[in-house]
Amino acid sequence: MDDYPLPRILNFLKKVVPFNMLESDVLQHIVSRTEIAFYPRGEKIIRMGDNASPNLFIIQTGAARVSITDETGSEILIDIRGEGDLFGGFSVLRGAEALFNVSAEEDLIVFLISIDEIKALIKANPKIKQYFDTTLVRNIKAVRKSADHQASLFTRDNQLDIDMFLTGKRVSELMTANVLTCLPGKTVQQAARDMLDRRVGSIVVVDENGTVVGIVTDADLSSKILADGRSIQTPVHEIMSAPVSSISSQAYTFDALLDMSRHDLSQLVVIDDGQLAGIISERDFQIEIGSSPLGIINDIDKSQSIKEVVDLRSNVDRILEMAMRRSGEVRPMVALFAELNERVARRFVHIVEAEMIADGLGGPPAPYCWMAMGSEGRLEQTLFTDQDNALIYEDVPNKDNDEVQQWFLQMAERVVGALEQYGIPRCSGGIMASNPKWCLRLSDWEETFLGWIRNPTPTALRMATIFFDFRGINGAYDGAIRLRQSLIDMTKRRKHFFRVLAQNALYNRPPLGFLRQFVVEKTGEHKNKLNLKMNGLAPIVDAARVLALEQGLAVTNTMERLEALTDRGVINRELLSEIDDAYDFINFIRISHHLKFQAQGHLMTNFLDPALLNNIQRKWLKESFAIVSKLQDFLSVRYQVKFLKEA
Amino acid sequence: MLNFINAKLKNRILRLYLKGRSPDPIVQKNLLALHHLRIFQPALSYSYVVVDLETTGLDIKTDRAISIGAFRIRDGRVRLGDMFNRLINPERNIPPESIRIHGIVPDMIKDASTAAEAIDDFLGYLGEDILIAHHAAFDLHFLNRMMADRHGFNLQNLVIDTLPLCSRILFPQPYAMLSRPAKVNTGHYISPARQQTYLSLDSIAGLFGIKVWRRHTAVGDALATAMIFQRILSKMEKAGKGKLIHLINSGAI
Repeated sequence: MDDYPLPRILNFLKKVVPFNMLESDVLQHIVSRTEIAFYPRGEKIIRMGDNASPNLFIIQTGAARVSITDETGSEILIDIRGEGDLFGGFSVLRGAEALFNVSAEEDLIVFLISIDEIKALIKANPKIKQYFDTTLVRNIKAVRKSADHQASLFTRDNQLDIDMFLTGKRVSELMTANVLTCLPGKTVQQAARDMLDRRVGSIVVVDENGTVVGIVTDADLSSKILADGRSIQTPVHEIMSAPVSSISSQAYTFDALLDMSRHDLSQLVVIDDGQLAGIISERDFQIEIGSSPLGIINDIDKSQSIKEVVDLRSNVDRILEMAMRRSGEVRPMVALFAELNERVARRFVHIVEAEMIADGLGGPPAPYCWMAMGSEGRLEQTLFTDQDNALIYEDVPNKDNDEVQQWFLQMAERVVGALEQYGIPRCSGGIMASNPKWCLRLSDWEETFLGWIRNPTPTALRMATIFFDFRGINGAYDGAIRLRQSLIDMTKRRKHFFRVLAQNALYNRPPLGFLRQFVVEKTGEHKNKLNLKMNGLAPIVDAARVLALEQGLAVTNTMERLEALTDRGVINRELLSEIDDAYDFINFIRISHHLKFQAQGHLMTNFLDPALLNNIQRKWLKESFAIVSKLQDFLSVRYQVKFLKEA
Repeated sequence: MLNFINAKLKNRILRLYLKGRSPDPIVQKNLLALHHLRIFQPALSYSYVVVDLETTGLDIKTDRAISIGAFRIRDGRVRLGDMFNRLINPERNIPPESIRIHGIVPDMIKDASTAAEAIDDFLGYLGEDILIAHHAAFDLHFLNRMMADRHGFNLQNLVIDTLPLCSRILFPQPYAMLSRPAKVNTGHYISPARQQTYLSLDSIAGLFGIKVWRRHTAVGDALATAMIFQRILSKMEKAGKGKLIHLINSGAI
């Protein structure tokens, strides 16, 4: 009778990390202490903030949704766990309260093992201990690996930012290694001057052997010197705080934060093997958390030269990456991308204009406006983007136009060059303001647009899909707004044009086959991959554009367009919320894919190998594509056009 | 509900009848198995024993149990360490066609418990818990036979059958989601529970992705049944039918 069900469960556990490290007899004991629970889909299993779960959960069948609730009460998804994954493991590490919400994403069968049992295991098995010690880090890695997002957790009464906790960084990654030090005999006056020079808030006092004996902070200076009225010639050892609170460079930053918060310190000295290794302060955390995109926006707006803006690029990237990791949602992040790129472009235009004057070329000969096109015009661009811009200026008499255009072209070339320096490559299709075709006065723009509408050749349609999403991004000149109104007037009741545009929008089909399997590229460089942009996002964007133009909507952002269309009853709310989810999900996969590629030093592409996704992501992606199809079906019926090519 | 009142009534008569004798404590405890049940208490607050039997055959008159397997459910959770697993010597030949089902060969039961030992052990394990089985009448028949042979009366515990619960609670649309019945091969021995292919353990477990670690062993089937019963409890609670009375009304035999 060795065929009880129990050995089968034992075999299952044998494949689950960290139980795979255990001997069979230990596992047998564990199995005998295991319980099986069932949770129907949607059931909440653990609530964040409640007492920590007394059990560790191992998923046998189904999926669990791990999330957090932010300050506003909305739920941010952290991870989806599947068969063989654990949850509730955090309580093993730090008791107290549950850090996550866990609910059943699908009907869930789980094995429960009591935390007491696990703690006993940890005591007897150093390997298991190590596993749970690093649970956090691995959890986060898993989260990143699964291209899922995480978020800044919460800032509670004790001011702990669990974001750092989540990122699982070591103190060594965050600390300042170059520490300001002095000998105990130095006068307070000298120490204070050094601190001022280095613009730091503390000085570490070390003896001749390099051993740390104390620390003097600016708080010490003000309380012990200024308030007590001591002489500034006092040696520092008289006023220093000793012994110092220290931490190892291999400790987790979370622990550093915890210590600082508990003992109400603004910095910790990092000591390895008795030697000073660095210092970690609140400020390091603030910089790391990137708490203020506002700060960077300020920096961009204050820049006086192109170089200054270009130098900010790495900070911008860092903020974007932080935002990606922190904000649970794609949309705020894309909005931040767009906002930062727009600020940069606006700043370049401003700087170049001043340079032109300084170079004796004179100021702008007519009111003008820099226009963002394509994804930038729709506020939808991501890291992986090239320039799509144009310029519009006030109508000038024909005889002056050449000269005026020359000035703008020259200026545009400089701006385009600056953007290139900043890291946004030139548009390979030449859709840039430095191109004489796309640096026009208002009436010429109107004429160009009208030409496309009257004669919608394939080329004209391709241009229309880029240019009709234009948006002015600087200046008081209202040319872009007037051009938008003209466009709306021009397209009114042009049924044929809309049909052709709709047909065009149906060209790219979501890559789903008859049996809802993915249809990947069959040949070429991207064989067996999906084009997320062309076949996933573009159909939504294109559909929204057609409908928005038909309805005379001035907004350019895809979701804003769709929302406005819903308000007008063109599409129903149910479809809207579906598209909303689908769009976000495809975009999320795409962006996290970009970031991953960037981090690995690869070229970013919109092609994705579906094998890189986990089961649930694949399922969601399929769902998303199916929704895109639904939108296309709607378009096809509305404009009575057929699909041009089958997927 | 009526059958529960009926059972309580019978239980009381039995106890009156047995008054004056002094049965051993295990039996005494079984006689009081219905005592603690309060029909308006949440079903989840009770402890259950989910049982499955393997037998020498289908004939309830001549065949005998050869193994009992059971798991306990408490707080809605199946406790893997709290398992009952016993082989029984049926003191007769095991028909070869049944061996094909349960895989228990005569060699294995040479040293197995007698029916009397097995039922006493099982009584000790069962206590006053509610008994659960899939197609419970079949298993209960064999348990009661052992019980009656040993102690002169039937098991007094409340018995719930998961089969009607499956059809009423889990699949209110009659069998729409389940596969069509497999063709019954008359050459094989098939227990009544398995003949009902629509709602056989296999098809239900398969539908829910419940991995049946070892089919056609008493403990393997008991575990599958327990995991199905878990779902039933959860679903009934969700539907606002989480009291014991609801369970009795839908599944008591």
